[in-house]
Amino acid sequence: MPVLREPPYRTELKPYGRALVELARENPDVLCLSGDLTRQCEADLFAQAFPDRFIHGGMAEANMIGVAAALARKGFQPFVHTFGVFATRRPLDQIVNAVAYPRLPVRLVGFMPGVSSPGGPSHQAIDDVALMRALPNLTVVDVADAVETRQAVRAVSAVAGPVYLRLKRGEIPVIFGEDHVLRLDRVEVITAISGGVDVVLFASGMMLAPALAAARALNRAGVAVRVVGVPVIKPLDTEGVLEAAATAKVLVTAENHLITGGLGSAVAETVAEAGLGRPLRRIGLRDTFAEGALTAGYLLEKYGLSTQAIIDAIWDVLGGQGPAPAAPPSKAEAGEYSPV
Amino acid sequence: MSTAPFRFSDPGIHWTVPDPDELALRVRLRAARMVARHGLGYLGQALSSAEQVAAVFAVARPGRDQLVCSPGHYVIGPFAAAAELGLIGEDAIGTYGDDGAVFEAIGTERSPVFDYTCGSLGQGLSAAAGLALAGRLRDEDGSRVFAMVSDGELEEGQVWEAAMFAAHHRLDRLTVLLDANNSQVDGPVDTITTIEPIAAKWEAFGWHAADVDGHDTRAVAAALERAGAETARPSAIICRTSLKHGLDCLPADADGHFIKLPPGLADAAVAELTVKLRNLETPGARPA
Repeated sequence: MPVLREPPYRTELKPYGRALVELARENPDVLCLSGDLTRQCEADLFAQAFPDRFIHGGMAEANMIGVAAALARKGFQPFVHTFGVFATRRPLDQIVNAVAYPRLPVRLVGFMPGVSSPGGPSHQAIDDVALMRALPNLTVVDVADAVETRQAVRAVSAVAGPVYLRLKRGEIPVIFGEDHVLRLDRVEVITAISGGVDVVLFASGMMLAPALAAARALNRAGVAVRVVGVPVIKPLDTEGVLEAAATAKVLVTAENHLITGGLGSAVAETVAEAGLGRPLRRIGLRDTFAEGALTAGYLLEKYGLSTQAIIDAIWDVLGGQGPAPAAPPSKAEAGEYSPV
Repeated sequence: MSTAPFRFSDPGIHWTVPDPDELALRVRLRAARMVARHGLGYLGQALSSAEQVAAVFAVARPGRDQLVCSPGHYVIGPFAAAAELGLIGEDAIGTYGDDGAVFEAIGTERSPVFDYTCGSLGQGLSAAAGLALAGRLRDEDGSRVFAMVSDGELEEGQVWEAAMFAAHHRLDRLTVLLDANNSQVDGPVDTITTIEPIAAKWEAFGWHAADVDGHDTRAVAAALERAGAETARPSAIICRTSLKHGLDCLPADADGHFIKLPPGLADAAVAELTVKLRNLETPGARPA
């Protein structure tokens, strides 16, 4: 069981960017391509350290994917950077034909997942996991904190085929202890509970923090919730999912994404195919785009991705009596992160 | 005769093209036979590009330069050329378009001959630019990248993204062979989208451009040589062509994109091209 820090979490800036520079120092084949969002995708550190291996793609994602794929064909290891929406929707056919089908080691790094930013529907990657998960040969990674982010760079560089790496932008919380090891081949039980398990709560990416907060509040109210981290949506560790799911009365998934096509769907398919009959609730965007925000917190609450929303869903599916437990207040000083 | 799959740039590969005009004619004849087996197919693409294919095989350095076929429907031409040059065995090329064949009619990752091909139109130039950039990053700047591109593909935005990218990066080892046959599935390109002036567009994007008769093998080859002398910009050779060129027996209303070749017409096509080949090899010396 990994060591967990307590919220409010301290945050780090550019854990991805620093890790990429470290990897590039060791591996001269690592290249960095950027689609006009270099600083926002933490690739400015690479551009400063290795200007000869940094390639501006400009606002031309389709071409950038094609160029990256050809570079990969010639033995390079290109990391391609832009926001998640532009990395997946705009060049989908290019990813399919130039990257996924030939199974090339292109690493697509998409920042600003789900409703984590107030950029409006045009900038919110709410379907990126679904799009990438639909493609043969793709590995889809959605990590939860700075410790995992740092390790993800090296981990995805060891994957033989293409990878979509989904990363939060800006201040990245440190949720795990430093000795936490990111594994791409298995889900991880994150919270220990003694005795029987009422709920197994599968969470990916940014939803791990509210999942942990919800579990804590529910555990205090006598509901035994076990949180399972799912950093890799595809290929899903189905064995690990089933092993965890079998211990629970109820299953819940939490993802910063539409509930269709991503984590919730992957878990549902796995559990249903195994004939494991369990009620399932999926936390995430429900067939909607997300409008009207200055802050991410507003959107997460409005569209049911808050800690309270997770608590309420679990309370509801278990038929809890009386009002659901209240989520802890989301308190964070500057430089700290606390889930809403 | 080699039957092992090869790519243009495989080290150790070798071929020579003694007479590019003869190779162009052989590509037509071979392609007619390949398509005749199924009664229909991408014969027009071979008729349109035969001289470009012959010229690029004549000018390219085997095992060093690279070939990209952006419109995957055009693989038939280079397949036919490779077979005529002894680079693909008769048994292998004889499976073209069959169920289970490596030689699919629209290029795939398994297609031999090419360093890159793709059936989803408009993507090849980005790949060609990436290959040229890889050559520079690897200090292998001498390797040229020849990219077959079709005029209909100019309607795809990605082509122009790639054109800007290649010019910005001064990828002078990159040469586009643009098959301007004024044909796309819905009809003549110029009735669907105005893509002219083609050469001026490439020049405005920072490319060296040449506009040539695409059925003049020597003109295409000369333009390829001239493009190789560029030192700071990529080149586009606009080859003016027809999908029915060099095969007089085709009906006037034949759909060039996907030519129907029933047995009678197939026999006539093979007979016509066989005569033309004999006449080319030994003008006036042998009876037809």
